[in-house]
Amino acid sequence: MTESLIGFGAIFLLALLRVPLAFAMGFVGFIGLGLMRGWPATAAGAAQVVYETGFAYTLSVVPLFILMGNFVARAGLAQELFRAAYAFVGHVRGGLAHATVLACAGFGAICGSSIATAATMAKVAYPSMKKLGYADYLSTGVIAAGGTLGIMIPPSTIMVIYGIVTETHIGKLFAAGVLPGLVCAAMMMGAVVYITWRDPAAGPAGERTLWRDRLAAVRNIWGVALLVLLVLGGIYGGVFTATEGAGIGASGAFFFALARGALTPRVVFEILVESARTTAMLFTILIAAMMFANFVNFTTMPGDLKNWILHLGLPPLAIVGAMMFIYVLLGTIMEELSMVLLTIPVFFPIVVQLGFDPVWFGVLIVLVVQIGLISPPVGMNLFVLNSLLKGVALRQIFKGVWLFVASLVVALLTVLEFQPLALWLPGFMK
Amino acid sequence: MIAALRRTLEALCGLLAAAALFAIMWLTLFDVAGRKLIDTSVTGSLELTEMLMVLVIFAGMPLVSLRGEHVVFDSLDPLLEAWVRRAQGFVVDLLCAAALAGMAWLMWVKAGNMMQYGDTTAQLKIPQGPFVYVMSVLCALTGLVHLLLTFAPTSHHHPGVDEGGGTL
Repeated sequence: MTESLIGFGAIFLLALLRVPLAFAMGFVGFIGLGLMRGWPATAAGAAQVVYETGFAYTLSVVPLFILMGNFVARAGLAQELFRAAYAFVGHVRGGLAHATVLACAGFGAICGSSIATAATMAKVAYPSMKKLGYADYLSTGVIAAGGTLGIMIPPSTIMVIYGIVTETHIGKLFAAGVLPGLVCAAMMMGAVVYITWRDPAAGPAGERTLWRDRLAAVRNIWGVALLVLLVLGGIYGGVFTATEGAGIGASGAFFFALARGALTPRVVFEILVESARTTAMLFTILIAAMMFANFVNFTTMPGDLKNWILHLGLPPLAIVGAMMFIYVLLGTIMEELSMVLLTIPVFFPIVVQLGFDPVWFGVLIVLVVQIGLISPPVGMNLFVLNSLLKGVALRQIFKGVWLFVASLVVALLTVLEFQPLALWLPGFMK
Repeated sequence: MIAALRRTLEALCGLLAAAALFAIMWLTLFDVAGRKLIDTSVTGSLELTEMLMVLVIFAGMPLVSLRGEHVVFDSLDPLLEAWVRRAQGFVVDLLCAAALAGMAWLMWVKAGNMMQYGDTTAQLKIPQGPFVYVMSVLCALTGLVHLLLTFAPTSHHHPGVDEGGGTL
């Protein structure tokens, strides 16, 4: 127990000293295990972790989904999604903000990254909202929050990572994210309704769109809708594995962007390199986290903690609730991926022991990551907007996001209480 | 000099990683399409993907380090004096370089062992040892990048913020 606590302490200390988190985790995991288990075995084990993570067929799902999202982002599809959503809801109060949430949900069905979704929608939705006189705090809040739908609505990078480290079925995780994703979207739209009710000037209504134009707007997005149906439907229906689906999705997105004239050899190269970089960064953290997990699992901590918690005799749901509370607190200051990877070796066995479905816990994890991404002071989505929208002060962005954080917390409690919300759809999969 | 070195590295590793990733995409497409539509698959596509993944990940690593894209906790930065930050960056990069050098050495030893045992992939019988050597060399290269950074620090930037990619 003590060894692990020292290990966690050392990681936080190194992180505070600005050592990259991946290196901090790797160092502590390696040295910790070395001291306990002996150096030769530890050295061989570390090399084995690197080797196995490098040579892993199933892990190719990661770069392929990243690639798919990046191709579609370059294809300029976000504009059409936004226009289609606007055609239906633009005429109500806060209509552009509602349209942003819907377009984010649609974009989230192709893109597995919250940051990319927020960045893409910022370029499309923010200028429109500005033009109509929306208050900055509302427009940035809704874009930051909407962006997080990218990781709840499948595909999702964080679900893939969670699936890999806990050996949970990735297809089932994807299926499990659909309904909670819609709940999140609904909660966010609720927040928009509340904000524009309190402050009608923050989000004036737009013009009503004729049905003829609405249908025309929908026709513009059928190509991508088809791609989404093929990839996610194929994975859900068991026609192909998540990895195969990712490959189909990436090639489909490539042809889609090509057909729209968005690709030159130079652009293709840039997209590929960018996706490879993101992949490399993810895998550095992943490898380091596995080394750290090897250390933690060698100590008595997971077992001790499990016994201690089980002996408390608390209701199981309260224990998971307490974990979520810790996550939400940590998420305000920590980078979310490392937060999840650091804590999984300790929390996951407890959750399984309590008899909960790992798929459901995975959805909860995604929700706390969503909340962490938009909760100040350290929220990546907020930083993205801050760097993309030069005219808006970070203070404004922070101010506008709180209600959306609250709406996601409500979504978290909903999924915590109603497990079928996550587990109903994957229940039909073999 | 350093700028030229940096550009060369970016171009070489970028090309390697990009080509490998593109290849994985086509390979998966042909393999799945072949299997589902005309009942033939690409022989050894699984193994090829694995080897290409090695290139994507490990050729991508020097690029991540070059651009300072590793996840760091930088909220304390505004509170520190400029010289403290420089000193801190110097020490951290040295530490990273040492860690990567160590990793490179471990992988080199592992590669040697695998060569000795003659480990090959199951279907295509491709020797795996050379790929582990590649891992080792690229780890070492990433370590050198961090050494380079002690002379010419790069400002940390949040990946995805500037180009719309990003981890999560």
